[in-house]
Amino acid sequence: MKTNSRTPEDKQAGRRLFIGGLLSSALLAVGVRSEARLLSSPVTTNRLRPPGAVTENIFLGTCIRCGRCVEVCPYHCIIPLDSRHGVHAGTPLIFAETIPCYLCMKCVEVCPTGTLRPVKQEATRMGLAVVNRHLCYTWQSQTLCRTCYNICPFTDKAIRLDELRPVVNEKECTGCGICVHACPITAEDGSKAINIEPLYSRVQMS
Amino acid sequence: MSEAKERQHIRRWRLLVQSGALLLIVIAPFLNFYFSIDFVQGWYQSLGIGKLWFVSPLEGLESILVAKRLYLPLLTAMVVPVLLALFLGRVFCGWICPIHFLSDLSDRFLKLFSRKKLRKDHFLLPKTIIWYVLLAELLLTMILGAPLFVFLSPPGLVGREMMMVVFFKTLTLEGLIVVAVLIANFVTRRFFCRYFCPLGGLLAFLGSKRKLRVARDEESCTECGMCARACPLGLNPAIGEAESNYCWNCGECVEYCRESSLTLTWVQGSSKR
Repeated sequence: MKTNSRTPEDKQAGRRLFIGGLLSSALLAVGVRSEARLLSSPVTTNRLRPPGAVTENIFLGTCIRCGRCVEVCPYHCIIPLDSRHGVHAGTPLIFAETIPCYLCMKCVEVCPTGTLRPVKQEATRMGLAVVNRHLCYTWQSQTLCRTCYNICPFTDKAIRLDELRPVVNEKECTGCGICVHACPITAEDGSKAINIEPLYSRVQMS
Repeated sequence: MSEAKERQHIRRWRLLVQSGALLLIVIAPFLNFYFSIDFVQGWYQSLGIGKLWFVSPLEGLESILVAKRLYLPLLTAMVVPVLLALFLGRVFCGWICPIHFLSDLSDRFLKLFSRKKLRKDHFLLPKTIIWYVLLAELLLTMILGAPLFVFLSPPGLVGREMMMVVFFKTLTLEGLIVVAVLIANFVTRRFFCRYFCPLGGLLAFLGSKRKLRVARDEESCTECGMCARACPLGLNPAIGEAESNYCWNCGECVEYCRESSLTLTWVQGSSKR
């Protein structure tokens, strides 16, 4: 019996070592995870920069976190990120499923640094709406829902109906996220049956 | 002669300007949020009053350095603050900055309850630190590729916290920086402003050839040392330190001078220092 031959002090030291190791590895994991978060861009599915934004690689450099786009937005859809986002803290982000961008283009007019460049409403490319055909009731032939089609500000242009099913036109979609906000279906991970993918955030479009 | 002896009521004017400046950034979020009146947006990082835009020089410089591109509206928005610093020195710090105003208010408030007339400085560092801080800040910004002061500047944070309260009904963690900066006043008055504010450093650098200075009348000066005790930055105008880059023209020494031998004056031509 090896374990019994050890003194209680030994046991205690071993336990202490084990707990210490567990704690430090947990801390390390948190550290690595948070470090990845501190440097990585917050722009992902349904997490969009305001209209006319410069590319993601220089966004954090040009934006001076003055918050004027946040203040001017009449729909309060632009959120300044908090300090947990590291180098991106203070930069504006739109949470499309909570409040989408209604393309009033006021933020673009007040940005003093050119981080949000003057852009026309229909020329805005915040991302591209993508229908998840495995989730969408209409595509699954469960009901005839056409909420996204009805709500889209560019009716019959950005979203049209193909045999009563919604189809996104890549040429016209501005990525405003109004369809995402309206979509009645929410998956387990919080995504909708139609989502905005920020396809254009890496390369300057206009 | 009687004109020179006339008291300049600088404290009163400064209080007026400072309260107006703070009120502007306190009221603006309310107007924006509740009434959708977006005539005024932002705070002292970038302030937009109608079509008139201002951008703080350091934040604008950082943005240009990191992005390596020039944007005309940004440059024009920086013109007025830069000119202000060139001709009037660090007046932003002394007359507008909400951090100095809050410190100033707390000084005035504490004076009501204490027998001591003026607060003392308990911990001093070399004044030149501010230049190294400015350099380090710019270098670090370029190395990281991300501007630092834009998010962490205490004067900017006052405005952002105000906006966060109105818009999101919350305060943020980085707001503690403002608290820390204000508490540091108990150790040394304007501890952060004196040594660690890169914006103050840049404005001081721009204002090295400024026209508005605290001038001393050597005949009437009795070298009582009142001005040195009054100066929130710990400068001594009696030995010409008000002529140095560090002075922010707040006029506190002018107000405290018993002989009225100190005046805020517009210096004609180039100055010696």
